[in-house]
Amino acid sequence: MAAATPTSYTDKVIVSDEVAEFSPAIVDEMKMHVAKYPADRTRSALIPLLMLVQRERGWIDNPGVNFLAEFLNLEVTDVWETATFYSMFNLRPVGRHHIQICKTLSCRIMGEPEITEHICSKLGIHPGETTEDGKFTVSMVECLGSCGTAPMMQIGFDYHEDLTVEKVDKIMDACP
Amino acid sequence: MEIKAIGCEPLQLKRMHIENGHTLKVYQDTGGYVSLKKALGMAPDAIIQEVKDSALRGRGGAGFPTGMKWSFVPKDSPKAKYIVCNADESEPGSFKDRYLMERDPHSMIEGMIIAAYALGSQTGYIYTRGEYKYLIDIMDAALAECREAGILGKNIFGSEFSCNIHTHTGAGAYICGEETALLSSLEGFRGHPRLKPPFPAVEGLYASPTIVNNVETFTSVPQIIEMGGIAWRDLGTEKSGGTKLWSISGHVKKPGVYELPMGYADMEKFIMEDCGGMLRNNKLKAVIPGGSSVYIMNSGQILGKNVTLDYEGLVEAGSMLGTGGMMVMDETVDIMETTKNLTEFYKHESCGWCTPCREGTDWLVKIFNRISTGGGRPEDAQLLLDICDNIEGKSFCPLGDAAAWPIQSAIKQFPEEFKKWLNVKANGNGVEANV
Amino acid sequence: MSTELIKVTINGQEVEAEKGAVLIDVCKDNAESIPSFCYYKDLEPQASCRMCLVRIDKMPKLQTSCTIKVTDGMAVTTRSPEIEKAQRAMGEFLLVNHPLDCPVCDRGGECELQEVIFDWGDVEERFNEPKNKAPEKYLSPIVANDPQRCILCKRCTRVCSEWMGEDAIEAGNRGSNTVIGTYGGWLNCSQCGNCIEVCPTGTLLDGVYRHETRPWELDQTITTDVYSSDGMQLSIGSRSGLVHRIVARDRYVNGLNGEFLDVKARFAHEFINHKDRIKTPLIRYSKGGKLIPATWDQAIELIAKRFKENEGSVGTIASPRLTNESLFTLGRFASEAAKGPVAVDDRGDMSAFVANLSAPLATHNDIRYAATILLIGGEPEEEQTYTAKQARQAVRNSGAKLIVVNERPINLVRNATQFVHIVAGSYDAFVLALFGDLADPDAAKKLGIDAANLTACRKAIEQTNGDLVIMAGCELSPEAQAVIAGSAGNFASDSGRVLLHPLPLYNNSVGAIDMLPNAGTAATVAVKSSALLVAGSLQNPDLLQNKDFVVVQELFETETTAYADVVLPAASFAEVDGTFTNNAGNVQRVRKAIEPLNQSKPDWMVTNLIAREMVVDLGYDFSASGVFKKLAESVTAYEGLRYPALKDESNPVQAKYPVEQGRDLSAAISGLRKNVEALGEAGEKNNETPRVGHKLHRLTTMTSKTAQFHLLANGNPKPENLLLAPLEQFEPNGSPKSIGLADAVAVGVSDRTNPGGR
Ligand SMILES: Cc1cc2nc3c(=O)[nH]c(=O)nc-3n(C[C@H](O)[C@H](O)[C@H](O)COP(=O)(O)O)c2cc1C
Ligand code: SF4
Ligand code: FES
Repeated sequence: MAAATPTSYTDKVIVSDEVAEFSPAIVDEMKMHVAKYPADRTRSALIPLLMLVQRERGWIDNPGVNFLAEFLNLEVTDVWETATFYSMFNLRPVGRHHIQICKTLSCRIMGEPEITEHICSKLGIHPGETTEDGKFTVSMVECLGSCGTAPMMQIGFDYHEDLTVEKVDKIMDACP
Repeated sequence: MEIKAIGCEPLQLKRMHIENGHTLKVYQDTGGYVSLKKALGMAPDAIIQEVKDSALRGRGGAGFPTGMKWSFVPKDSPKAKYIVCNADESEPGSFKDRYLMERDPHSMIEGMIIAAYALGSQTGYIYTRGEYKYLIDIMDAALAECREAGILGKNIFGSEFSCNIHTHTGAGAYICGEETALLSSLEGFRGHPRLKPPFPAVEGLYASPTIVNNVETFTSVPQIIEMGGIAWRDLGTEKSGGTKLWSISGHVKKPGVYELPMGYADMEKFIMEDCGGMLRNNKLKAVIPGGSSVYIMNSGQILGKNVTLDYEGLVEAGSMLGTGGMMVMDETVDIMETTKNLTEFYKHESCGWCTPCREGTDWLVKIFNRISTGGGRPEDAQLLLDICDNIEGKSFCPLGDAAAWPIQSAIKQFPEEFKKWLNVKANGNGVEANV
Repeated sequence: MSTELIKVTINGQEVEAEKGAVLIDVCKDNAESIPSFCYYKDLEPQASCRMCLVRIDKMPKLQTSCTIKVTDGMAVTTRSPEIEKAQRAMGEFLLVNHPLDCPVCDRGGECELQEVIFDWGDVEERFNEPKNKAPEKYLSPIVANDPQRCILCKRCTRVCSEWMGEDAIEAGNRGSNTVIGTYGGWLNCSQCGNCIEVCPTGTLLDGVYRHETRPWELDQTITTDVYSSDGMQLSIGSRSGLVHRIVARDRYVNGLNGEFLDVKARFAHEFINHKDRIKTPLIRYSKGGKLIPATWDQAIELIAKRFKENEGSVGTIASPRLTNESLFTLGRFASEAAKGPVAVDDRGDMSAFVANLSAPLATHNDIRYAATILLIGGEPEEEQTYTAKQARQAVRNSGAKLIVVNERPINLVRNATQFVHIVAGSYDAFVLALFGDLADPDAAKKLGIDAANLTACRKAIEQTNGDLVIMAGCELSPEAQAVIAGSAGNFASDSGRVLLHPLPLYNNSVGAIDMLPNAGTAATVAVKSSALLVAGSLQNPDLLQNKDFVVVQELFETETTAYADVVLPAASFAEVDGTFTNNAGNVQRVRKAIEPLNQSKPDWMVTNLIAREMVVDLGYDFSASGVFKKLAESVTAYEGLRYPALKDESNPVQAKYPVEQGRDLSAAISGLRKNVEALGEAGEKNNETPRVGHKLHRLTTMTSKTAQFHLLANGNPKPENLLLAPLEQFEPNGSPKSIGLADAVAVGVSDRTNPGGR
């Protein structure tokens, strides 16, 4: 495994003061989350709201971070320290369909390697990359709690289990 | 995939195959929330006593006696108290909580409300791993039903007791299953564990008394209240009461979630018969019985050894019960590869707070990479063991230990497997590895 | 922490310790020091480096001595094969991804990691896999960063939030990818540099000192900060006449401020060796002519002659930046040689406060452990940064109450427990309401706050259980200052002391008050005088317009020297011996780090030369200590003080100011009443929180000589390329330089090492 550069991708962000805008419906959804926690503990809503920002904007972009900092009255760096800790947050854009293949033990011994091989050669990309057309991103992830139905992958939030090469083809061809 | 009880009436799995078992209606039609009504008529201490009698031990992996944990909550604290359900289930090999939440969310909710009443808490949170988005939706629906029906909110069932429960999503971090890291995460911070003491029961969420329990732990509570602690305990053994869910994966014909009484005999029968035996009838090579964070066992420790499936039995057999996430491996697997795989997992999930786990797992993975690409050296086995020894017992939280155990046990139980790799052109001269 | 003593056994030796003390400290005090990195006495425990493991009887596993509070009968082992193995293991782990580049590291020789490892000697290198790579980069014009050297002790992030309350620098990513940094990789903060100071390794580096010398080549001179009135102790690192850096590292200096300094104290020192320093005496032979270099003899002769001609109307004006020795000498010059009036040109004169004390002055340690702090006016986070830090920590780490009374929501409000937001110019009304014998009924109206707010404030003060510290900003009217200082004593109770803390602007504002007790203002003196001796520069140089003869003692040519007929080169604080007196009344030493540059001389010496030429003998023996002895004999508050008594910076001496109860404040109070009546109805409130650093980063004669300050003053723009020094990428005014940066190296590629990880 190539030694990675521990400087964060987010170092490259030219921090602008552009603030993302969300529809009243989304803002209400955010308020619903904030309301779950004591009034002086609104930071608790940070992770749920990051999820929302990612759902709406595809990744945790600068305007989104600025929005959260304002909405929860935090420093942007507070948002950054939390967002970069959790592996589900995309700190850079991903494809429309984010294929996440479980690589942990049970899946690994139940055929994950062929599945990965198949998907990657089908798309002509390596894990961690996104197709030219921005349709698919392939990521390798750790155990998603489907060991009994291995091998498995998650596309977006959808579980696809007991995978075979044929099954994978069907699923991917069905992706709009 | 199988979901069934063996050697006992389905208790945890009671509603797994009932249509719409996840809805309030079906849940109540099948005896749901009767225990809560009963509990609301009991004295809080009486409830805690029942849980103590039941010898219920935490199902999240640590196996701490639940009744005792509850009794640590200071009675007279002026602060708000919190109930937190640990639904972060991220332990490789463990997937039982997922089906409990998917098909019987109300059991867990009922357990949480009873706990809240017993401990005088008004607020509960269900911390679920972010990847389980569809389960969060199911639970939100279930919670909404409860509020509708007055089972949550003000004056539950017309009693004096009021309580509310919310879902909270994680975002991909195994360490947030560790209870103090979970609380940091629930407060919106990085998922770093916190110093203990103070323990969560005294100073947890928002520095207030907090009880964190696993999903399965909470689903057991209504049954305990219903049948009484002693009766529930007697389903299992003296020391480990009740029944336990096992998640079986890997090279067996019928993987799945099985409910067994504690003390079930024996492990060999369970794998070879109940789970349909080995896939393609290959030979059994290794089993990790309790989720990735326990010692790996070789077939010699299992076959013909009458290993009973409970906390004590598995310790005796040289491993641990953990979360009951049993991973079965046949002769086709390479133990060096599987150990490498788990080490990569721990490196990826190390929160980075403390030196030995952060740097140790990084180093271990680098060594495994070298070995797996043919660069193994005879002295590597000793090096791996020494690094593990330097992590074990010295890290800030148990994840460090969990990273060390698979390697230590693998080298101990499968020396030949490593010899093979460490002899591979160990600087070309093929010296015997001193494993 | 209680002072109850208990018995602890360390390696078989029974010792006494304070109950509840931290084990690692107890061991250190008993010569059993334990290696540690993340532990820092003045910060919340972290227990992440795992370096301080020890064995405690009856406890499973090794324990981190930085988190254990000692209990009676505790038995500890700090040295054993088991423990040494564990500690060596942590050291080995920390080196796994740490580049072994000590020879080129700015911290080489001062690095705590290096020391711990070298102490063991024979460390075998078992790690021979590829190390994780990361480029060196900049976080700001003055904070350089080499991520590879980081051991993630998080002292920097804790200092940033606990000391500074800024949360500007945090940890990002996870596991072995964890980095210390910020969103966008650029530090927008007050740039205090304390993160650099507390960093045990060479990860965070002084961007001003970068690559100049090796630390051990520097001579360390302990002296006092020349900017803020907190009197922070620091160490000047110099080498053959050049000042290279300023630090507060505890291996060199242990002052009241510990390792705390601010951006000016730590980085704004380039003026000392600056090329624009005045090198020789300068004479302007005819008004409007040029200043021509001259010899000292020529200059002094001319001055004496012209002052004699103006006999009777020679005024003296002193800057509150000068040492007590120089100020005292100017005072004597004025009375004995010039026989004219003397002034101190202080932007925020607080003599009315110091002259009316009804309670002792608070030390900075008193502030840290106060129960309630009342801050009226001022902006300590920008002007008296150490005072602000102590107040912040009193709240954050010790649960104190902090009541901020201000016209603006200053940044410190974020740490306050109560904020009394009054309308502009109504401090007098507030003081009258709070301290006046009976609370002025319509004061609240004039303040633009509701009376409840006032009573809450009163209550908090009266119910204080412990010390009450009352701080006053220098913008308060003399009447308000007098009333606060004079009536604070009334709040004294048996539950704790009342202490006063003035917030003047200059390093020696308080000393100036002591040395020149009945000084006037620059304006009054200027009007009265036809000739003037000015030591330093004036707020309003135009006061010197069409004077017959003006002499200025200065470091640099300024608008003030533009009016001078003679300019005399003065030595900077780094080139003189002397004393400053801080806002706690601590009389602290200023020490000569380098010889006076060029032909410059200490101000007191210059003034003395003039006096002597005017045949007035001040009886000096030409040593600063001699001057101090004389001033200690005539200034009562300094009675008995001598340099030897001021030697140890770790326990500063407080001047003895007269503290009197029941002073007659009627004059001041009626003064206040008048001011308040003059006040109109409550006007608009100022709701704007000032930018962090708006005063700290201001360009002045002194700070502007450090190039990096120009970028800070111009909005601290983020450069294209974080690997290159910002000064190479920006003009001083903050506009990008036009060098081909398009193809500059991009910083940072991956956030995760997991192959293809998200
Ligand atoms: C690294 C680590 C991961 C853990 N993950 C989980 C988890 O995913 N789910 C869980 O219930 N407990 C997990 N635990 C155990 C919790 O720390 C805690 O013991 C448990 O939630 C307590 O509930 P219980 O007593 O009902 O088991 C984990 C512990 C560690 C050290
Ligand atoms: S052992 Fe240390 S680094 Fe690892 S997860 Fe626990 S606290 Fe984090
Ligand atoms: S000093 Fe104790 S763990 Fe770092």
